[in-house]
Amino acid sequence: MNIRIDERKPGVFVVSLGGDLDMSSSPQVRDMLLPIFRRKVSHIIVDLSEVPYIDSSGIATFVEALQLSRKGQVRFSLAGACRRVESIFDLAYLKNIFEMAPDLSQLIGGERDR
Amino acid sequence: MTLPDFKGPVILDIPADPLAMFIVRALVDKISAKIGFEPRQTDKLVLAVDEACTNVIRYAYKSAGDERIVITFSIGPDCFEISIRDFGSGADPQTFQGRDLNDIRPGGLGTHFIKSAVDRFEYDTPPGGGMLLKLTKFLPAEEKAQN
Repeated sequence: MNIRIDERKPGVFVVSLGGDLDMSSSPQVRDMLLPIFRRKVSHIIVDLSEVPYIDSSGIATFVEALQLSRKGQVRFSLAGACRRVESIFDLAYLKNIFEMAPDLSQLIGGERDR
Repeated sequence: MTLPDFKGPVILDIPADPLAMFIVRALVDKISAKIGFEPRQTDKLVLAVDEACTNVIRYAYKSAGDERIVITFSIGPDCFEISIRDFGSGADPQTFQGRDLNDIRPGGLGTHFIKSAVDRFEYDTPPGGGMLLKLTKFLPAEEKAQN
């Protein structure tokens, strides 16, 4: 699993993932993603465009992040999920619980990268 | 494309290691697509078998890495059967109950994913210990006849 974290503008973090998000990689993603909520942050976006597969452990990581986001009043979004990943969120009845955008640009709009 | 006329089942004997699960997923994906299941149904079957195997690793083997999982794929005249055999401590059937999906919290989704992918879900405790989980999905034409 490749994980990259960029602060695109002050307080706006993009976490880009690459590879299957499963039982072998979810702990690593969890360890990288959840500490961001302790930083000075207003919005965390997870870019899933390079994630071809997610299982229940990956979903659990995002549910945990969602709970932290609600507690800390941080916006938390998922971007670029492929058909398979989106259908797994749907199967878990979670598609409408998360803010999901077709691609990253829709969430960060015309913001310039730092 | 038509399904090859297999003589007997396909058996995958694999380490009970999360890093090996991509092999299981790839095989289920290929067989399911070849059978003719729709992409969404194939996705569900891939997820179901993956979740069943990760349950074995987590609960039956307590994440110890030197055990085996034996998966048998059988394609009958009317159904696709996937049997998942472990030799672990024997999972508590209560762990197959899943949780209320309205309760948004991490965990507890695996069983829901398994049950929603298949038409029949059975488990047995065979002689020699461990657990045998059998997942059955009717073939596409049979599925229409069943509904």
